[in-house]
Amino acid sequence: MQRIFINKSLCAGCKNCEAACMAEHTTHRSLWLVNLSDPSNKPNNRVALDNSGQPTPIFCQHCDDPACVTACMAGALTKNPETGVVEHNRDKCAGCWMCIMSCPYGMMHTSGVYEDTAAKCDFCAERGTPRCVSSCPTGAITLRTI
Amino acid sequence: MQYVIIGSSAAGISAVSAIRELDPKNSIIMISKDKQIYSRCQLPEIITGERTLKESCFIPANFFEKYRVKWIDDTGVTHINTDAHVVETNNGQKITFDRLLIATGASSFFPPIDNLQKGRQICGLRNIDDALQIVDYAHDMKKAVIIGAGLVGVEAALALNDLGLKVTLVENASHILPLQLDQTAAGNYERLLNEHQINIYTNEIVTKIHLDEKQNVTHVELKSGVILPADLIIVATGITPNIQFLDHVPIKINRGIIVNEKQETSIPNIYAAGDVCASTESFTAKITPTPIWPLAIEQGRIAGTNMAGGNKQRTINFAYKNSMNLFGLSTISYGFTEAPNENYTTHIQFERGSYKKLIIKDGILFGAIFQGDISGAGIYGKLIAEKISINSLPPERLFSISYANFFNQQENGLYRY
Ligand SMILES: Cc1cc2nc3c(=O)[nH]c(=O)nc-3n(C[C@H](O)[C@H](O)[C@H](O)COP(=O)(O)OP(=O)(O)OC[C@H]3O[C@@H](n4cnc5c(N)ncnc54)[C@H](O)[C@@H]3O)c2cc1C
Ligand code: SF4
Ligand code: SF4
Repeated sequence: MQRIFINKSLCAGCKNCEAACMAEHTTHRSLWLVNLSDPSNKPNNRVALDNSGQPTPIFCQHCDDPACVTACMAGALTKNPETGVVEHNRDKCAGCWMCIMSCPYGMMHTSGVYEDTAAKCDFCAERGTPRCVSSCPTGAITLRTI
Repeated sequence: MQYVIIGSSAAGISAVSAIRELDPKNSIIMISKDKQIYSRCQLPEIITGERTLKESCFIPANFFEKYRVKWIDDTGVTHINTDAHVVETNNGQKITFDRLLIATGASSFFPPIDNLQKGRQICGLRNIDDALQIVDYAHDMKKAVIIGAGLVGVEAALALNDLGLKVTLVENASHILPLQLDQTAAGNYERLLNEHQINIYTNEIVTKIHLDEKQNVTHVELKSGVILPADLIIVATGITPNIQFLDHVPIKINRGIIVNEKQETSIPNIYAAGDVCASTESFTAKITPTPIWPLAIEQGRIAGTNMAGGNKQRTINFAYKNSMNLFGLSTISYGFTEAPNENYTTHIQFERGSYKKLIIKDGILFGAIFQGDISGAGIYGKLIAEKISINSLPPERLFSISYANFFNQQENGLYRY
């Protein structure tokens, strides 16, 4: 499977990865049309400051033993055995937030865009490379096969 | 080699996939009273019709074929002969096992209230039959009283309110959801319930159910003397483990089947997992039932792995976590809801309509409530479950701790704390 590797010392805190994620998960997929201040459209990734103030990009790592999957009482979250991607099925999701309660890295969230369901990184299912990785101008995030 | 699993819910099902990861060939027999696989947590949605029974199934349709499980449904286990390694059922079957998993979960607990066992329109809410019975009654009934305002009681109240019944909640504690929330967070839900015409009596105890001559429910009497007209009663005062069939089995039980870190019971080759067992809970360090879905899944998986010859131990067995989404107001809470004594400090934030509270002692988080904005809550859950120090963090970030504060990516790309 593939994972996103993070070199936080290269992160400029530009949040291009967040913007790319937001754009990718709208119907038009356009960075020009996406409303970046729409509170209901949250990115699945985030850039946050570490203890010394260094911006640090954080992504769902599609865990080997995902706590979100263990918590999901609806069977809406599953780990795809072929790709390793932890997938969320919005139709099955009951919006109980047990996954948000359980992800130790804060990578499950609520999505106003999809109403009362959870949302997470889908590894940009319809693209070869996650759009955050393609959008990072500094090389702070890279894709590696493990 | 034959595996037998009693119970086809969270714990039993997750044991199956764990067994099959290590043992693709030996036979697995699953026995359950349940006739369908469904998520009990979604019974309220089934009552309101938001979800069908089929939609609440939490496993893929081909699960039993894929994992080659013989499922004996609609069958209750009545006895286990531990010498002969035989499970006996209510329809006369005798099934031998080499490794057995007891994952029979729990049932609604009916407290000793006058006439509670006798009255007709009185239901718990635990199994699909309860939900269907409630739906059936709800067609003709107008006034429901719910005894107990924990999560199940409150969810039942919302569901019946949705179906147009006049609902009253009666709770022993001073506020609703007493195990999950503090007064402030619960108060926000109490207001929403009241706005939806759901009545709440807190600090109250149901002392008696009044019945007519045909044992139909007519009224509910409270300790204060209040008499509430009712034609339907839901009992949501907690659960009791399904261990009746173990009455004559020499297995160690104390508020649940006692298990060790490997989910082994006191009898070799017999395991237990989920709501039926009692294990060392990590927040309290006490042996208690841990009746939440994620732990039933986790314990089932550990049992399954060990049954199939693996060696897996429970590490974190943290049961003090709750999430809810009621009337569009979301809350996640962990650990204590109030500081137990003056050695703990309480930090509170009201911001943009959200309420957040943290309880800390010596740089360790012991409790958290997030109401409204719940994003990133899971990090606090991890810190509380594993008692990870936050001493080195900038204090002004107390309410915005993220994984960036602990960032540590391994060579395989996985994160660690
Ligand atoms: C309305 C409701 C809402 C809930 N909401 C949440 C929530 O939000 N979060 C959360 O974490 N948890 C929630 N729970 C609790 C959660 O459903 C349980 O923790 C979980 O189902 C436990 O799984 P289990 O496999 O241990 O047992 P159970 O789900 O109780 O299943 C027991 C199985 O054993 C079978 N069985 C029992 N006795 C016998 C017998 N003698 N012979 C054969 N078979 C038998 C039953 O048919 C069933 O298949 C909720 C529960 C309810 C009822
Ligand atoms: S959402 Fe969290 S728990 Fe789930 S796979 Fe991603 S990082 Fe792991
Ligand atoms: S919110 Fe949805 S995805 Fe998350 S645990 Fe609940 S049902 Fe599963």
